[in-house]
Amino acid sequence: MTEASVIETSAPAEGVTETLNREAVERAAAQEPTWLAERRAHAWDVYERTPLPSTKLEEWRYTDVRRLLDLDALTPAPRPEAGTGEALLEGLDGLPAGLRAVMAEDREAAGHVAIVDGCVRHVDLSDELARQGIVLTSLARAVQLHPELLEEHLATHAVPPEEGKFQALNAALWADGVFLYVPAGASLDLPVRVSRWLSGGGLAVFSRTLIVAEAGARVSFVDEIVSDDLDAQSLESSVVEVIARDGAQVQYVSLQRLGHRAFYQAAQRTLAGRDATLDTLNVSLGASVARVDLNARLLGPGANSDMLGLYFGDGDQHFDHNTSQDHEAPNAHSDLLYKGALDGHAHAVFRGIIRVHEGAQGTDAYQTNRNLILSEHARADSLPNLEIEADDVRCSHGATVGQLDQETLFYLMSRGIPQQPAERLVVMGFLGEVLSRLPLGGVVDKVTRAIEVKLRHG
Amino acid sequence: MSQSPILKISGLTARVADEDIEILKGVDLELGEGEIHAIMGPNGSGKSTLAKVIAGHPGYEATGGQVLFRGEDVLEMEPDERSQAGIFLAFQYPVEIPGVSIANFLRTALEARLDGDEELDLFDFQDLLLERMEMLDMDPSFAERPVNDGFSGGEKKRNEILQMAVLQPLLAVMDETDSGLDIDALRVVANGVNTLRKEHPEMTVLLITHYQRLLNYIRPDYVHVMVDGRIVRSGGPEVALELEEQGYADWKDKEQEAAAV
Repeated sequence: MTEASVIETSAPAEGVTETLNREAVERAAAQEPTWLAERRAHAWDVYERTPLPSTKLEEWRYTDVRRLLDLDALTPAPRPEAGTGEALLEGLDGLPAGLRAVMAEDREAAGHVAIVDGCVRHVDLSDELARQGIVLTSLARAVQLHPELLEEHLATHAVPPEEGKFQALNAALWADGVFLYVPAGASLDLPVRVSRWLSGGGLAVFSRTLIVAEAGARVSFVDEIVSDDLDAQSLESSVVEVIARDGAQVQYVSLQRLGHRAFYQAAQRTLAGRDATLDTLNVSLGASVARVDLNARLLGPGANSDMLGLYFGDGDQHFDHNTSQDHEAPNAHSDLLYKGALDGHAHAVFRGIIRVHEGAQGTDAYQTNRNLILSEHARADSLPNLEIEADDVRCSHGATVGQLDQETLFYLMSRGIPQQPAERLVVMGFLGEVLSRLPLGGVVDKVTRAIEVKLRHG
Repeated sequence: MSQSPILKISGLTARVADEDIEILKGVDLELGEGEIHAIMGPNGSGKSTLAKVIAGHPGYEATGGQVLFRGEDVLEMEPDERSQAGIFLAFQYPVEIPGVSIANFLRTALEARLDGDEELDLFDFQDLLLERMEMLDMDPSFAERPVNDGFSGGEKKRNEILQMAVLQPLLAVMDETDSGLDIDALRVVANGVNTLRKEHPEMTVLLITHYQRLLNYIRPDYVHVMVDGRIVRSGGPEVALELEEQGYADWKDKEQEAAAV
């Protein structure tokens, strides 16, 4: 009785706009199989009932989305046209020059994917690898070609919409993305390289990456995103789901070099099975705001995750890295090292938690965040945390925020090195520790060059 | 001194930046080309401050007087400019720079000495570095280690000497290079300096030390005694021996008497 008498007067749900709304979700789902259309509709329901994160939430304390992101000003980027199967072989010539330049820097790869505004424009994979059963394709095509794999893994056990406002929005509106499947025992000696380009301002781009490595498979994946400086804000929303079955070895590297005014939001989750190795590296150099949520779940005994992160901010850049290491099985190992340097008025937030679940005996889990402050206006907040519900564990966490110290600078200058090159040397040395732990030569060179360029222009 | 001094310090007063207490209270000192001078003195006498002021440490401030290096006023120069002019400071406490290899550090230092359009030939640099390390009896792998990171006291001081050997300064100021070294390490470091001097007899050396024992290995031409921010005595090597016997107490007493008069 009383329920029926309540008059619906609630304001429209937060984050629903002229272009980001249920109609957009329905259009996205129009040509899709029922399971996916239902999944999108469900994600949108979650989106509507989830408030925009406010700084009252501990996880968003330092990143005021309400102030930093203007959803009303955004329009979703165009979706891939239906039946674009043949377009997947589009030559590289048609791609934006900036994207081609990024790809030209790359060393050899097992396969390439080129993406513009979230839509896959080019895919190649060697015939030999394809014969091994390795699948590298756009997510839009994978819906047609591998529905059973997607139905099992896409936005289900890795990053379901219930994870948060952005995760729900992405699950409802994703346009395209990358699907990589490596069958049991298959092995890629060279990395798969994904190069993404964001073409302009005013866009909302939603893309997803799903990587499934079956038992004993081995693969590395380098995911780079680049743009010029934008004339207006764009949102680049990326959800990454990486599943490493028993004994698989997977490396996922994200290299973010977006331009000014980009708002980058990434939700990454890695699921490591028994004796699997699932390592990640997040490099954040670009965008005005970058929020990266990385959750590593160690699900099988003996699983192993090295989690590396590197950021270098200047101007008014704002980086927020939010990590968690979930030890849900015994005898697993995780080791996180995030290092960042901050110049100008840049602000970096690192929040990390190690959760050792009940029964996860023999856990080895480490977490280190170090920040180097280069200017009096730069700032870093570091919030490491531990939650342990087992008794036989080895865990440690540590955080430092240090200034570039006068004595170090004087030491370098006393050898004839002027102040700016001296600072560059210290920063490269400081950040280099992260790269030295990553045995992917081409990536190290690329990141080193990108940091050097930034240091010179800073 | 027959020719004009390479370093001429006159009436130098200095203090810790932003503090009111003067540490150097009027230092006069002249160093001729190719000479070895030692400044000895008790702790707190200001001898390390003098070394740092010569090199341009930002934590110290010259409040009066002059430091002329080859006739140029170095107090107006940045530390990197002083280094490029030919001044080298061997640090008492060399700084650790994680992630920066000695080779990279020295290459950057040499590159900084080139004109805008010149480039350092990396093979030439590699040869020079290896040759210098061999001269100092160092293992080639040393160059790939991060600067002073995790080094023992002796390794840090040897690294200072290696840098000196590569940069080949006109004036080497050695700030308590002997502190914290056992006798073997001291001998290695002293041999390095002597080898370099043999190769470059024109190199002037200013040794700052608390103890006489370093002077058994690097023979000074002149010894100065510094007490309470001033040079209170200058002479030949015999001054060091006198100090060894009598200690600094006498000098302190004389200072106090002088102040009381």
